[in-house]
Amino acid sequence: MNFDFSDDQREIKRTARDLLAGRSSFERVRAAAEAPAPPAYDPALISELGELGWPGIAVCEEHGGQGLGAVELGILLEELGYACAATPFLGTVLAALAIEHAGSSQQRERWLPGLASGEVRGALGSAGAIVPDAPGAAVVVLLDDDGGATVLDTAQDGVTVQTVATIDPTRASGRVSARADVGEELPGDVAAAVGRAAIAVAGELVGISQRALEMTLAYVKERKQFDIPVGAFQAVSHRCAQMLLYTESARSATYYAAWAADAEPQRLAEAAALAKAAASEAGREVTASAIQAHGGIGFTWEADVHWLYKRAQLDAAFLGGTGTHRATLARLVSTRLHTMDA
Amino acid sequence: MDLTFNDEEAAFRDELRAWLGANDAGPEPQGDEDAHYRWRRDWQRQLADARWAGVHWPSEFGGRSATLTQSAIFFEELGRSRAPLPADVLGLLLAGPTLMVWGTDAQKERLLPTILNAEEPWCQGFSEPDAGSDLAALKTRAVRDGDDWVVTGQKVWTSGAQFAKWCMLVARTDFETPKKHQGLTYFVLDMDQPGVIVRPLRQITGEAEFNELFLQEARIPDDAVVGGVGNGWKVAMTTLMNERSGLAFFLQVRLRNQLDKLIEEVAARGMLDGAGGNAIAQKLGDLHVKAEVIRLTAYRGLTAIERYGQPGPEGSLTKWMWSQANQELTQLAVDLLGDEALTADSPWSYELLRARGNSIEGGTTEVLKNIVAERVLGLPRMR
Repeated sequence: MNFDFSDDQREIKRTARDLLAGRSSFERVRAAAEAPAPPAYDPALISELGELGWPGIAVCEEHGGQGLGAVELGILLEELGYACAATPFLGTVLAALAIEHAGSSQQRERWLPGLASGEVRGALGSAGAIVPDAPGAAVVVLLDDDGGATVLDTAQDGVTVQTVATIDPTRASGRVSARADVGEELPGDVAAAVGRAAIAVAGELVGISQRALEMTLAYVKERKQFDIPVGAFQAVSHRCAQMLLYTESARSATYYAAWAADAEPQRLAEAAALAKAAASEAGREVTASAIQAHGGIGFTWEADVHWLYKRAQLDAAFLGGTGTHRATLARLVSTRLHTMDA
Repeated sequence: MDLTFNDEEAAFRDELRAWLGANDAGPEPQGDEDAHYRWRRDWQRQLADARWAGVHWPSEFGGRSATLTQSAIFFEELGRSRAPLPADVLGLLLAGPTLMVWGTDAQKERLLPTILNAEEPWCQGFSEPDAGSDLAALKTRAVRDGDDWVVTGQKVWTSGAQFAKWCMLVARTDFETPKKHQGLTYFVLDMDQPGVIVRPLRQITGEAEFNELFLQEARIPDDAVVGGVGNGWKVAMTTLMNERSGLAFFLQVRLRNQLDKLIEEVAARGMLDGAGGNAIAQKLGDLHVKAEVIRLTAYRGLTAIERYGQPGPEGSLTKWMWSQANQELTQLAVDLLGDEALTADSPWSYELLRARGNSIEGGTTEVLKNIVAERVLGLPRMR
């Protein structure tokens, strides 16, 4: 039993942290969000991430990826969440995950090399729901209500991507619909692919939570009232302790799920629900607490904590929120107990 | 990252599981606390005979030199088999390991062998009426008298004192020092003497797990000082560092068992069916997530200790998470099962009441939050 990252994984994390600190400071995030038609992505960042091979980190080598796993992908997303990076990365890796794990060999050959190199942008989401990174995506994996999924070439007639302005101007979102005769079904295990996607989103939420916690700690150590740092007041310090509890809970569940996705896929469904439930709760609670602990400043447009809060809200709602996954888990456990008794 | 157990760990689990399959503690006595204690004592003797009592103890002292992970497995399996904890947890987890670090050879030779089989059980004389979370404020005095120390004072919340032969006692031996953490000494007190008076404290459950301990010129020979005169704070920290070792895994499994029981009862009533069952399923699922997160976070804590020699933030969080989850679970049982869960003969009513102690015993949640804020998050000392 070893919950630690390998040296290589630690190196990926450190490299990502350093790179994004330079290329995706809050100044840059703000610039993307405050553009006339947000988000205004930085093309240099997109191509740099592509050159580094990040979009293909979990795509098999046969199709131009790095052939690494859910843990490494989770690390990258955690760091992108930590930076609140305004770049169309999430949708691309989620589409690639679904096509890689549930696509036909033809679908993989057609889409994976472009997605892995970052030259082709993708998105994944449910029909009728908000789909992150849908505007600008060349390929969308659209989930239907019955547990199936369709791969859509957005250049085709009959596919509509409607841009939706959400509360998060750092990421483009849209709704996707398609005529019934358009697109190809994903023949494989769609549920497992969606589980992997949920774990990846949980990774981003862990990073968002970690950043919100760190920003809050820095602020409450600095900000003084009654001649002492406000972080010395238990009403504030206990809130910070609670933020750590949420963040570490999400981290435990998400790291476990990312590991299980590759090492013990029979646990994937349950682990994914666990990770998404814990991380969605953490993202929302921790970023809300960050605003509160920053006081009036935290409620201003000028402070940066609101970018994290907004991203957390969208991520939490995406692919099922805390409540949905909790209910799923209770019923999974109930079924398991019933089977054991029978 | 590899969250599987290695061959040695798997073999350890298999051997233990096989033993627990063939041996059990027998039916749990109801209502009679002395009988309940004897039941757990006899269970500990069964464990000791098969060398399962002090698995984390070095083999030279009768243990199995188990790793932290194996120790975690031990408590998980004990919980999974629904066996009780051994009677002298305080001796096995606190007194024994403290003596191994600080005790003299003579102390180790005299005291360690009788811990494993619960022949001479232990209690812990730390807290006082005016020294709870602020342990160093304790007032119990020990004064030299020839080759003895004479001890006067009062201890409180002393679990198992009514059954104990020995007490881990921290008393003040220097009354001049301005620094209250100095001038404390750690003793082994023989409970079997006229100067030691034990008065049970009745809890909100009606039972008396803990006691008041009155020390009226109790005598302790000088060779029962542990770790040197004036060094009591450091020795006490060794005891407290061991306080949560392994036990977290037992408590997690116990929470898991209770949650599974509630889910089964609720499912059997059809309360999870259809869209109408969603709200209830969400509440139970919330506790499932918490139970899993406690387990995973506790294992993350073990990795941190095994890799870096010191606990990470995880260790401070699991006890807080567990007490909260256990309280929420027992309250939810009342919500879902109705007022029958509040009748005196319902097992849930006992759990509901007992759970209130969880966020107080072994460090209140408020103190845990202070520890997290100051030591993990580096926030300034609280006001």
